[in-house]
Amino acid sequence: MKNGIGRAIGRREFLKASAAAGVAAFAMPAVKAFAAGGGVNFQTWSAAVDLVKSHAAAFEQATGLTVEYANSPWAQYRDAMVTKFVGAAPMDVMWVSDAWLPEWAEAGWISPIDEYESLMAYNSDAEAFCTDSMTYNGRQYGLTYYTDFMGFLYDADKLQEAGFSAPPSSWDEVVEQSLVMKEKGISDFPMMLAMAKESWLIEFMSAMVFSQGGRFTDDNGDSVMQDEKLGAQAALRWIVDAVNKHKIVSPGCVETGELSGLKAFASGNHAFALLPKYRLAMLNDPAQSQIAGRAKQALMPMGADGSHATVGWMRFHGMSAQAAADKARADNAAKLIEWFGGKSNGAYTFQKLLFLDIGAGFGVKPLFEDPAIREKYNSYADVEVIQQQQALARKKDVVTPWFGDWSETNGAAWQSAILGNISPADALRKSGEEWDELKSES
Amino acid sequence: MQSSQEPSVVKPVRARSINYERQAKILGWLHRGVILFGSLAVLLVVLAPVTWLVSSSFQTEAEIVSVPPHWIPEQPTLKNFQAIFSASADETVTYETRSTQDPSSGNYIPSTARNLLPAMRNSLAVATLVVIFNLLVGIPAAYAMAKIRFWGRSGSVYFILMTRVIPDIALVVPFFLVIKNLGLLDNIMSLVITYLAITVPFTVFILIQYFEGLPDELDKAARVDGCSRLQTLTKVFLPLSLPSLVAVILFAFLTSWNEFLLALMFTQTAQSQTLPIVLASFTSDFTISFSFINAAGLLAIVPPVIIAIVFERYIVSGLTAGAVKG
Repeated sequence: MKNGIGRAIGRREFLKASAAAGVAAFAMPAVKAFAAGGGVNFQTWSAAVDLVKSHAAAFEQATGLTVEYANSPWAQYRDAMVTKFVGAAPMDVMWVSDAWLPEWAEAGWISPIDEYESLMAYNSDAEAFCTDSMTYNGRQYGLTYYTDFMGFLYDADKLQEAGFSAPPSSWDEVVEQSLVMKEKGISDFPMMLAMAKESWLIEFMSAMVFSQGGRFTDDNGDSVMQDEKLGAQAALRWIVDAVNKHKIVSPGCVETGELSGLKAFASGNHAFALLPKYRLAMLNDPAQSQIAGRAKQALMPMGADGSHATVGWMRFHGMSAQAAADKARADNAAKLIEWFGGKSNGAYTFQKLLFLDIGAGFGVKPLFEDPAIREKYNSYADVEVIQQQQALARKKDVVTPWFGDWSETNGAAWQSAILGNISPADALRKSGEEWDELKSES
Repeated sequence: MQSSQEPSVVKPVRARSINYERQAKILGWLHRGVILFGSLAVLLVVLAPVTWLVSSSFQTEAEIVSVPPHWIPEQPTLKNFQAIFSASADETVTYETRSTQDPSSGNYIPSTARNLLPAMRNSLAVATLVVIFNLLVGIPAAYAMAKIRFWGRSGSVYFILMTRVIPDIALVVPFFLVIKNLGLLDNIMSLVITYLAITVPFTVFILIQYFEGLPDELDKAARVDGCSRLQTLTKVFLPLSLPSLVAVILFAFLTSWNEFLLALMFTQTAQSQTLPIVLASFTSDFTISFSFINAAGLLAIVPPVIIAIVFERYIVSGLTAGAVKG
């Protein structure tokens, strides 16, 4: 005999009720999600969240369109986006790093925006390396979110103490001034280089190679890094000599990452450093740096056959392929890209506020003339030098679908050479062979 | 050097009596010393990170990176906690109301700080629902498999366990497609469903082991006395299974509370994001505010610690439940 719960609700009734509850639970959010459709889906990583929200709110007011804004942590952003692309999650506009462009474009996840003349018009204001960094196989995939470049920084007090009135303008002068500093006991290792195998390594290498007039690859994407006349060898040889012959760079540089190098430079251990330009703000903040007020930027020293060129990098607003496949969605996505990456209400509002709020660099030249921007830059740096250096920045020439695999071999080869295990020529030959092999396999 | 011709002197060996009592005492002290030293070492390893988490959450960014580190803050501050608890709800942000803090400054508080408390609420809701559904599904399933003989019983147990052999990362895309088709993206129910898929097999497995340890005679006696299956389960077995239920509750709660990968994929906004995702979002591509992240981390460990304290007396017996069968 049944009583209690067992009696009140039979097995069949219980199963029926459970199934109904389940269907209701699943259906309600689905209905809600369906009802919420019609906006522009905008996916970013979690940076400048408040600014993005405020600028999106202004977009909604100006256009009557709604923005479905979502963000993920920066460190996991790429993985999350890949899953969302594979799972065909609704997305229209998203932030893209130049490093992911070949992969995402080849996979057909993002779409070129060069059919929109309203967007392409902004290229005339953009730095050349920015447009280049958003271009893959001749097609442009977006408009700037933010950009920056590798800078040559120095401690003005140490320079003065060593008796120099100006920072070095060539790599030979870096050696010369460093040796004097060593001799006077100003610094054991005057030059800070961070050559650990981490994501920043290719930027450090590229800055050195470009300033020596070199390249890793030619216009066809074939390796030229092994060519002894094309700068890459000169760059690696300079580092090898700096570590082993002149001893102006610590052998520990192969284990020093960008952040550790920054901290070491901020604590006053070095006179010169290669660091991302945006670090200048932190280096000149007394709350965080012991060399506050003394950290300056000079143009990248040039090699014998080189120039003051450096490497730049980009993050940009891209359009998803699923949005591009639907004319109405694509038009709305293009409007949002223009609002953020181009002008809104006749001004580069987003890029300007992004710099003023969080110090992120902009990719459009006219903003250098903005008084508020000049004032902020000049509060911790020299805007003229920054503008001059940014104009000389170049895109990385190794961003390809096989970059990750090649970077492993290339990083190990450079480190071996720095530690004196192989010659710079052999290291770059090995690196070039790996590049050619990976390219032929792709 | 000694000459071979010198007479060798043989000293008489005095027979010594062995003081067993003293030896036992020394060994006892040694034994206690080793245990004490080992315990202190383990305690240090376990408590040092937590101590640093607590200490650094009250420090400024400048103090937190000082060398040597300050285990006791010299200039304690509550600004991180104030930022979390004074944050307003996620309302429309305009140019005028946006946060304009520079992340390169030493006292940077991420503007997403306002998402922390909603994220805690989401985590708590998800973990609680997962625990409830685990018990609702796991208890009857485990009871049936432990006490009812039916065709395919062993196969069912192995099949349930087999689902946990597949790494979570391999399930992300299939899960994503299911969740998307259900229209549950950016909804906490997506997490509840997928976490159940992860936790229910373990729940069933733990409970089967425990139920099998209880005598079949109890089941039969209850049935003879007129109990239905449901009554046997609720009135006889469950009261005896408290330690294993606590283990299951803890396991399901902590797994849901800490899970990151699936939450990263299925949630997009503050409306559904859980604590691990919001904590990770405090690390931006420009900077990390260590003191703020540690303050947020301190709040994140509070609920699990409270649960551990509440269920403390059942934890060990629950975790070893079914480990030794009679």
